[in-house]
Amino acid sequence: MNSTQTNYSTDKLQYLTKWRYASSLISIALMLLSLTVIGVKGFNWGLDFTGGVVTEIQVDHSITASEIQPLMTAAYKQDVSVISASEPGRWVLRYANIPDENQRPELAEVLAPLNTDINVLNSSIVGPQVGQELVEQGGLALLVAMLCIMGYLSFRFEWRLASGALFALVHDVVFVLAFFALSQMEFNLTVLAAIMAILGYSLNDSIIIADRIREQLVAKPQWNITNINNLAIKSTFSRTMVTSGTTLITVVALWILGGAPLEGFSIAMFIGILTGTWSSISIGATLPEFLGLKAEHYQVIPIPDHP
Amino acid sequence: MKSKSNTKPLNQYAQWKYWLLICTLIILFMSALPSWYGEDPAVQLAVKPTQSLTVEQIHHVLQQAGINSKRIEQQQDNLLVVLDDPDMQTQAKKTLAQQFEHQAQVTLALAPAAPDWLLNLGVKPIKLGLDLRGGVQFLLDVDLDLVFQNQAVLVSDAVKQFVREQHISGVMVRFSTGAELTVNSASDDARGQIRQFIGQQYPQWQVTGHQQTLSINLSQSEQLKLTNLTVQQNLQIMRSRIEELGITEALVQRQGENRIRIELPGVQDPATAKNVIGATASLAFYPVVQADSLYAVVMNDEQNKPVYVSKKPVLGGDHIIDARATTGDFGMAKVNISLDAAGGKLMSDFSRDNIGKPMATAYSEYSRDQQGKAKQTTKIISVATIQSQLGNRFEITGAGSHQEAQQLALLLRAGSMTAPVTIVEERTIGPSLGAENIVNGFAALALGLSATLLFMACWYRRLGWVANVALIANLVMLFGLLALIPGAVLTLPGIAGLVLTVGMAVDTNVLIFERIKEKLAEGRSFASAIDVGFDSAFSTIFDANFTTMITAVVLFSIGNGPIQGFALTLGLGLLTSMFTGIFASRALINLVYGRDTRRAIKV
Repeated sequence: MNSTQTNYSTDKLQYLTKWRYASSLISIALMLLSLTVIGVKGFNWGLDFTGGVVTEIQVDHSITASEIQPLMTAAYKQDVSVISASEPGRWVLRYANIPDENQRPELAEVLAPLNTDINVLNSSIVGPQVGQELVEQGGLALLVAMLCIMGYLSFRFEWRLASGALFALVHDVVFVLAFFALSQMEFNLTVLAAIMAILGYSLNDSIIIADRIREQLVAKPQWNITNINNLAIKSTFSRTMVTSGTTLITVVALWILGGAPLEGFSIAMFIGILTGTWSSISIGATLPEFLGLKAEHYQVIPIPDHP
Repeated sequence: MKSKSNTKPLNQYAQWKYWLLICTLIILFMSALPSWYGEDPAVQLAVKPTQSLTVEQIHHVLQQAGINSKRIEQQQDNLLVVLDDPDMQTQAKKTLAQQFEHQAQVTLALAPAAPDWLLNLGVKPIKLGLDLRGGVQFLLDVDLDLVFQNQAVLVSDAVKQFVREQHISGVMVRFSTGAELTVNSASDDARGQIRQFIGQQYPQWQVTGHQQTLSINLSQSEQLKLTNLTVQQNLQIMRSRIEELGITEALVQRQGENRIRIELPGVQDPATAKNVIGATASLAFYPVVQADSLYAVVMNDEQNKPVYVSKKPVLGGDHIIDARATTGDFGMAKVNISLDAAGGKLMSDFSRDNIGKPMATAYSEYSRDQQGKAKQTTKIISVATIQSQLGNRFEITGAGSHQEAQQLALLLRAGSMTAPVTIVEERTIGPSLGAENIVNGFAALALGLSATLLFMACWYRRLGWVANVALIANLVMLFGLLALIPGAVLTLPGIAGLVLTVGMAVDTNVLIFERIKEKLAEGRSFASAIDVGFDSAFSTIFDANFTTMITAVVLFSIGNGPIQGFALTLGLGLLTSMFTGIFASRALINLVYGRDTRRAIKV
């Protein structure tokens, strides 16, 4: 089945070349900027990673943070962070754990001067060593996933093509991380899960284009790589938009309705899908071209008779 | 190349494929159905042996307390009271426990709300994680260093004694880390003897020499064995303690090498649970004396029969270093006990003077009650006759069956070798928050799903409905699988994974439809475009899903609790979306458009 016939003439797609180069440059610039942001600002690690105590309480709507704060700070002898939760009257208190149970003040007693019903909605105490382990485990998970993916990519694709997908992947993860560094939103376990999902999603996008490039390289060996890239992007563009669109829709639904516990997750996914789409059609497809991908790399197919 | 006269019929699936598809869908739909009904709060009464309790009695008590029950079921020795109102669960338990204290063990439970005919098929609702149900979760750390250290003490004592007996001088024994000790001696001969002694008596310890120093290490396999034993035994202890708390659906499982995760759904007060979990156990050996003896104290054994023992124990459980059940001569079960040097001396002196007399083993547990007061419960776990003078290693026979010997060894270790546990993580999720999380999660799922369905219907008019049917089938299968797979738990991040799956699952169909469009643009007939479209999209779909699968598997194996829930729904979602996106939608398209030979069709 030879399908050399195509509706797109190579000239018509030339505008894409410029666009691709420009967007790749932007991607690289953004990535460098992201790395700087991460380096400078660092992360606001969540309880899962740092250890400590987080308690969410429900009190009367009229009570403000400035009433809770001094009571907590005095009782726990440390700077207690009091953050407003999603609904009025809900507060998230976060402080370092006091290891000796006998000296741990009872929350209800501490807040008794407020003269209100205190309803503890949830509370988490995480020991410091557990947090430390999670940081290691999380890092390990990312690393193992990356290695597995690299293994699979190098097995399925020629290395130049694979490196494009891989670079796009790193780009997306770095960008999402930079957002969390910049906004100082809490980086917790669900955000880590989102980062892992972004790994998968970003790759998904890049692979679909890489698949197309490979297919065209085999089908049109006489074409130059620039045109093949343009054609691959153009012919997968509608799919890229539809899938990114539906995934974005669902992530936005999660963002709007999922409530506070899933907020970090949805935001991370949202940004990840945007940059994932962007990088797969810019740097992901362009890098192999710079690395000198040629049609020959996929022309070794006619192996003489099998033994 | 546009052949219409294919020899093989185009776009036809064999009949068995349709049957397979329909059967799979029906089975998974049935499996998913009970989750729709959810679960009702309930209280379970396990009737004690020789006692009886009727449905009427319970009904009467509940009515008097003003608690409405939905139904009361009787299954052999268990009575299940299903309630209307979740808020009444704790009160109902309290009332029933007070009233029927002697007749039954009362525990909190959940009962599936699905109709009986459905439950009779053996299907169960999806298990919800703690973040959706509310409850308390603990993570315990088992301190293994102390266990290794105890073992090292045993060897060090033995070496010291050996050196003394053999009149070897100038030997220094020192501990370095938990599972290592070093022996210093200038004499080659002495080192050789010690090396030989260890090799014969303690083969599980490895000796390596460097100049005048011998390093004695617990072998890796033995360390692993000890770790497993200790954690297993702690798990056992925790399980039995939690049973006493009265929570049937509690989860006690090992996490990683030396952690224990305890999930107590429905529990709102971590303090009580903590007292029970944090209780420490100890063990002591007592001489059994006459009931009228001046120093006699009475303790009960497991059958509640009194045993009179001396006030002063022979020795405490802190001297026990190890206890293991083995099989002795004639296949009798016995328990081997190792004592440290001081304990060995005490036991040796005592047993020399008391051959032929009985000795009792008492097991005590210290825990704190609800007022925070420490309380001690002691029971006699075995009474054995002393056959001969005992040393620092002796055995107890007559413990009963092998299983009972195992149990005794476990208890003996429990009083001694049990590594101290510390609570390193504690989470409480209020029931209202759990319910809120469910509502939020499913609202997001509903919105995401309907928006995606609408979008697909508008974008791919002619084929959109196929994608939508596939998507709904995908969700049904996913829920069915979650209910079917043992140990699968739905968590809040798990719901996020479901929502994400909805968005990503259509990708399979999108990829296929785009290929079909392309082929139609090349001038093929609809039927032929479908055939080629499906074939050419397959490798892309596989590649794309495989990489996401890698991340899901990695997350599942490394993550824990809620994150595993996410990895599970993400991974399962990929599998089901491949099934529905490729197989089910092809089946549908074949039926409807398989013979459509029109060209220039818009999809």
